[in-house]
Amino acid sequence: MRVLAVSNSGKYYGDLEGFISRLDGVEEAILVTSDTPGGNFSKIYRVGDVYGDLLARILGEVGEPDLVVGIHTRKVLEAVAYLAGARDMPIVTEVVGLEGMTVTRNILSGRGTAKYSLSPPAALTIAPGKFSGQLSLGPPEVMELGEKPSTVVVDRSEKSRTGVDIESAEIVVGVGRGFKEKDDLKLAFELAEALGGEVGCSRPIAADYKWLDEDRWIGISGKKLRGKLYIAVGISGAPQHIMAANDVKVIVAINKDKNAPIFEYADYGIVGDLYQILPILTRKVRELRGV
Amino acid sequence: MDVGVAVKAALDLNVLRSNPDGTVAVENIPLVISEYDRNAVYEARRIADSTGGRVIIYSFLTWWPADRKEKDFENVIREALALGGDEAYVVVDPTVSGSEPRFTAKVLASLIKKYGSPSLVLTGEASTDMTSSSIAPYLAATLGYTVVTFARSLKVSNGGIVVERDVEDYIETVRASLPAVVSVTGEINSPRLPTLLQIRKAFRKPLVKTSLSELGLSPMLPKYSDYRLVTVKRKRVVLEDGSPEELVDKLVSYLVEEGVLKR
Ligand SMILES: Cc1cc2nc3c(=O)[nH]c(=O)nc-3n(C[C@H](O)[C@H](O)[C@H](O)COP(=O)(O)OP(=O)(O)OC[C@H]3O[C@@H](n4cnc5c(N)ncnc54)[C@H](O)[C@@H]3O)c2cc1C
Repeated sequence: MRVLAVSNSGKYYGDLEGFISRLDGVEEAILVTSDTPGGNFSKIYRVGDVYGDLLARILGEVGEPDLVVGIHTRKVLEAVAYLAGARDMPIVTEVVGLEGMTVTRNILSGRGTAKYSLSPPAALTIAPGKFSGQLSLGPPEVMELGEKPSTVVVDRSEKSRTGVDIESAEIVVGVGRGFKEKDDLKLAFELAEALGGEVGCSRPIAADYKWLDEDRWIGISGKKLRGKLYIAVGISGAPQHIMAANDVKVIVAINKDKNAPIFEYADYGIVGDLYQILPILTRKVRELRGV
Repeated sequence: MDVGVAVKAALDLNVLRSNPDGTVAVENIPLVISEYDRNAVYEARRIADSTGGRVIIYSFLTWWPADRKEKDFENVIREALALGGDEAYVVVDPTVSGSEPRFTAKVLASLIKKYGSPSLVLTGEASTDMTSSSIAPYLAATLGYTVVTFARSLKVSNGGIVVERDVEDYIETVRASLPAVVSVTGEINSPRLPTLLQIRKAFRKPLVKTSLSELGLSPMLPKYSDYRLVTVKRKRVVLEDGSPEELVDKLVSYLVEEGVLKR
């Protein structure tokens, strides 16, 4: 079997190698990357940026693969799905599991899963962090590809970042649209500090209101949590948000609407006004922890 | 300039149901408009208004059985028309029992080519039910259009488009040529709820239904299987009776008991 692997960052080579090494009978795995070459692939094509039309042209050179496996980042997803369309291959995105030639992916914004049986040729993207391992097909020959994609990047700006890593935080206090203004978020920061945790948020708080940096955004399109405690405050409990906290040991919800879906996803909930509850909670946590 | 929008009638995540064996009871789950498709329609309206053109809605009913889903599906299309669409071309076909991006994109491409061929087609960044985010690029390749995904802003200028796209840690401003397919994020605009008048008008707008065979397509056997709900195992202890002090005291003692809050 011939596999074309696609990445836009060196940090995902292990994910791709891990996935590919679990497939049967892989004779050749060619990596297309826009980052520094690495990994034990058969061959590496280095490109300026990863785009679908470029991938299609590379196939013209290397021949048709049985499987295209990209890492599930936005750039690679777009490129791989475009390539699949150009080659009339099926596409399965954000794969989280593999058994034989059957892949599993999350559906219903994290509320469900589905299986898909691959029959090559096929294209897929794999979720970061689900597979890891090494191939032994290298050392790879590296080729530079100077061709230009039809999409031209005219500007690139880094999003402002707080630098917190809520994905590895043990305790996170999440804030949502229940907060009336940006200033009020200090109630959550005070609680987080008392707990020795970090503050995260729902998508609108970061992306619409821009009250917090996007590295605090929790959800299927943001960060996933896996610590021991998540306290969701003024968050309604959309699956796109709360399913990203499914691996957290204990979930607490504070919401004034007793019918809010968040209570279905919480171990402990307080039906109440966050403006009343948070200061009391912070005080009691401080007393308890002596901070 | 005419602007097309691919709209999905998605399973309503608020009323998910499962069969006794844990599989998703697709037959019994209502359909609603996929959340970010509303942003796509709204954006299409803005562009069509500023460039002088129509907004054309395209849709394919993928959930089954078609006869039981048709009413919800029509409501979704009427909602898209109320939000800014001028006319709609849709596939409702009793032979369909599920789809996958490859087939959905093929059906949409056939609809688009047959009805209007707008040079700009928008989609939401992801559907709320399958969240594959792959329709826009797949459709673009099928139509021979360029593609830009995850747009946070979109401008038509000099016969091309300029898009600010969200690529995880960066915002990239890109220029691409038309014709193009663009997927939009939920942040690109804030759609207003349609007014009563808009809703009433939507019922008078053309909604053309067609079938796979009329588009020259044969049905596809879905390769997806075993749609299953994830079990959410939570204790669901809800504290509501008592003063705020008492509620917080109870919560704190639970958290200490759980070992997640330590002295
Ligand atoms: C494809 C897709 C991807 C998405 N990805 C994400 C994602 O990654 N992350 C994410 O978060 N969302 C995501 N969303 C959006 C998601 O569907 C919800 O719209 C969003 O999570 C809602 O944010 P919220 O809970 O803060 O706001 P709301 O839904 O508006 O909830 C606010 C809550 O605050 C409560 N409240 C109000 N005042 C008070 C008070 N004084 N005290 C206590 N409670 C109060 C209200 O009762 C309400 O429940 C996505 C959506 C789609 C379609």
